[in-house]
Amino acid sequence: MMDIKSDKQHTYWNPYLGGFLLGLILIMTFFLTGRGLGASGAAKAIVTQTVHTVAPTHAENNAYYADQFLGGKVPISNWLVFEVIGVVAGAFISGSLSGRVFFRVQHSPKITARKRLWFALLGGALFGFGAQFAKGCTSGAALSGMTVLSLGGYIAMLSIFGGAFLFAYFFRKLWL
Amino acid sequence: MKEEIFISGRNIPHIDPHLSIWEFPISLYLFLGGLSAGILLFSAFTHLLNKDEELKGTSKWAPLIVPFALAIGLLALIIDLGNPLYSWKLYTTIRLESPMSWGAWVLLIVTPLSILWVFSDLRKLFPKLDYTKLPFLFKVEDFCVKYKKQMALALIPLTIILGIYTGILLSAFNARPLWNNAILGPLFLVSGLSTAAATIILFAKSAHERHLFSKIDVLLIVIELGLIIHLIMGYYAGNEMQVEAVKILVGGDLTTLFFGFFVALGLLLPLVLEVFELMGYKVPVVVPAILIIVSGLIFRVLMVEAGQITRILY
Repeated sequence: MMDIKSDKQHTYWNPYLGGFLLGLILIMTFFLTGRGLGASGAAKAIVTQTVHTVAPTHAENNAYYADQFLGGKVPISNWLVFEVIGVVAGAFISGSLSGRVFFRVQHSPKITARKRLWFALLGGALFGFGAQFAKGCTSGAALSGMTVLSLGGYIAMLSIFGGAFLFAYFFRKLWL
Repeated sequence: MKEEIFISGRNIPHIDPHLSIWEFPISLYLFLGGLSAGILLFSAFTHLLNKDEELKGTSKWAPLIVPFALAIGLLALIIDLGNPLYSWKLYTTIRLESPMSWGAWVLLIVTPLSILWVFSDLRKLFPKLDYTKLPFLFKVEDFCVKYKKQMALALIPLTIILGIYTGILLSAFNARPLWNNAILGPLFLVSGLSTAAATIILFAKSAHERHLFSKIDVLLIVIELGLIIHLIMGYYAGNEMQVEAVKILVGGDLTTLFFGFFVALGLLLPLVLEVFELMGYKVPVVVPAILIIVSGLIFRVLMVEAGQITRILY
């Protein structure tokens, strides 16, 4: 049996090291695939494929979905889907190695788990809308954009974190 | 593909431009058949090795779902038939050269056997069960307990046939290049055993039993990965039709489902997680177990669908 640290507080990586490695991964992604990372793109691909299964003509003629079919492409074969599968798999492996894989809902002691989940759903939905309006999420627009020194990437990053900073005040009671 | 209808002037729904006759119920049935076969096989072996008490999840608890799984599977199979009321005609003949006939007869024996198999231990699992109002059930129970060893001996070959036939059923179709591959039978058998081992992990009553089946499952997944490599290589070494057919799995419409969801999330990730668990890391075993079970179903949906899309080139 391996010695597994019981103190879960110290099984996380140093965030600065993690951020540095994330940057290296971004560069490697550009080098290997010729494009940046993305997360919301995978969700979009899965949604498009689902809509296409149910209503093929609608998906192919709808401006939002149509570009994913250009050149006979299959939306779900987008490499972002594979990337996200890898992220889920990697997260599980990493979590297992540090003994952090178990079922729990992290929330402030002042709110219930149910409330936390409802707000997570709401926040996630808003972020999904935001990512689609901005044509990319934190990874696809901000991180990947900044790597190639795109002005849009910097604006996206500042807006995401600036917006969060501004709104955090109003929702602070969910956490503090 | 619609231009094909235009050029050929043919308009044959469900057959042209490609088959779309076998749908989800068939995949579900193939999955449940393989799963049931696997659970009964492990359970029968456990009984023959006198490990009933040591491995209660395998010998008693997991088999509880088998009669239900087989019933749902057979119901799905009948629902999918064009003329369900004629299904009894399968039992008017025995055709050794037909996998369908083998399957029909094996199921006719395995389904009641699975009920008797579960019944023999039912009162041990649910002590409050009372048969006094239906006294003949005591006789049935005595019979089941008395002949349990014989049932186990019969179940071993029968469940292997059941597990392998689900794949042979597809591979016997010469006209569907993706199905027409000799590896499909063994692959379906191993995949069925692997989903069964994963189900037993969920029912395991002790850490010893869970670890034993984690080890068995690791071995089965490794064999399954080997068979998948052979399957793919077999297509590439085959004729032009097969080379063309495998494109649907490698770089085609179903690549994400096959490599992403089945191979990566359904085999490689659970393999890594189970190995970690055996090494002593804390992994909730339900995660790899459920991944394996779900991916077993995905694999069958995928093969049934993909096989119908591939065809003889002309």
